[in-house]
Amino acid sequence: MNEIKLIDDHLFNLAMPEDGLVFDALLILDPGLANRVMWQKKAHTIVQQYSRKKLKAEIETVHQKLFNEPEHQSFRQGVLALFSKK
Amino acid sequence: MADRNFFSSTAAERELAFIALYKKAFPAVAKYVNKMGGSFEEAKDIFQDTLVIYYEKTVNAAVTLHTNEQAYLMGIAKNLWAKRFRENVQHTLLDTRHLEITADEELQPSAARLLHYLENAGQKCMEILKAFYYDNLPVNKITELFGYSGVRSATVQKYKCMEKVRETIKEKSLTYADFIE
Repeated sequence: MNEIKLIDDHLFNLAMPEDGLVFDALLILDPGLANRVMWQKKAHTIVQQYSRKKLKAEIETVHQKLFNEPEHQSFRQGVLALFSKK
Repeated sequence: MADRNFFSSTAAERELAFIALYKKAFPAVAKYVNKMGGSFEEAKDIFQDTLVIYYEKTVNAAVTLHTNEQAYLMGIAKNLWAKRFRENVQHTLLDTRHLEITADEELQPSAARLLHYLENAGQKCMEILKAFYYDNLPVNKITELFGYSGVRSATVQKYKCMEKVRETIKEKSLTYADFIE
């Protein structure tokens, strides 16, 4: 489990400069490490994509509420009026 | 207003925050997009991506907001509009601070399939990782939200999940070959 943290610290530049040297040494000593770093980086990319998708869904829910629920009628009308003048 | 701490909390609190931001800034963004010849749908897309960028910046504390929040959102929206519709923006002043960010990149088909797989097979882990890495929630908040016995077990779970997702991606990469690119 420590290796996951070690790689995270490396990826996010959280490590101290001396730890960076240790990491470089580990990369030489453990040929599989570079590969695990690469996959962990991809895992972070996927986590970001997943999270953005979820956040966008939350924002879309807000949009639907604002543009459908009666209590937001005046807001809705104000915005839609901008586009009806064309 | 510089305090966006209410973002780093539950989905219900985020909803209230987004409603407030929508009411505060969407009319001005819609007016701008309309003036630039855009449609309501385009204004909606631009504004939603603006909120994603704003959210990411605030939870990561990449910016300290000294300026008016509405003006700040408008700045991001204008840049997104400029980026998407460059031909329409000869008269727009470009603020390059935001141009490096994008919230609407298209996923490669393989990445989308992988994401779909993880959404179904590993949703709990993805939610935990989202809370830690994307929402940047404090570990004690995550412990509470996910019902862990303590901060330590939440942290252990974070690394277990990262390892699980990493290994899943590696394993699936043979099936979803172009994800490796």
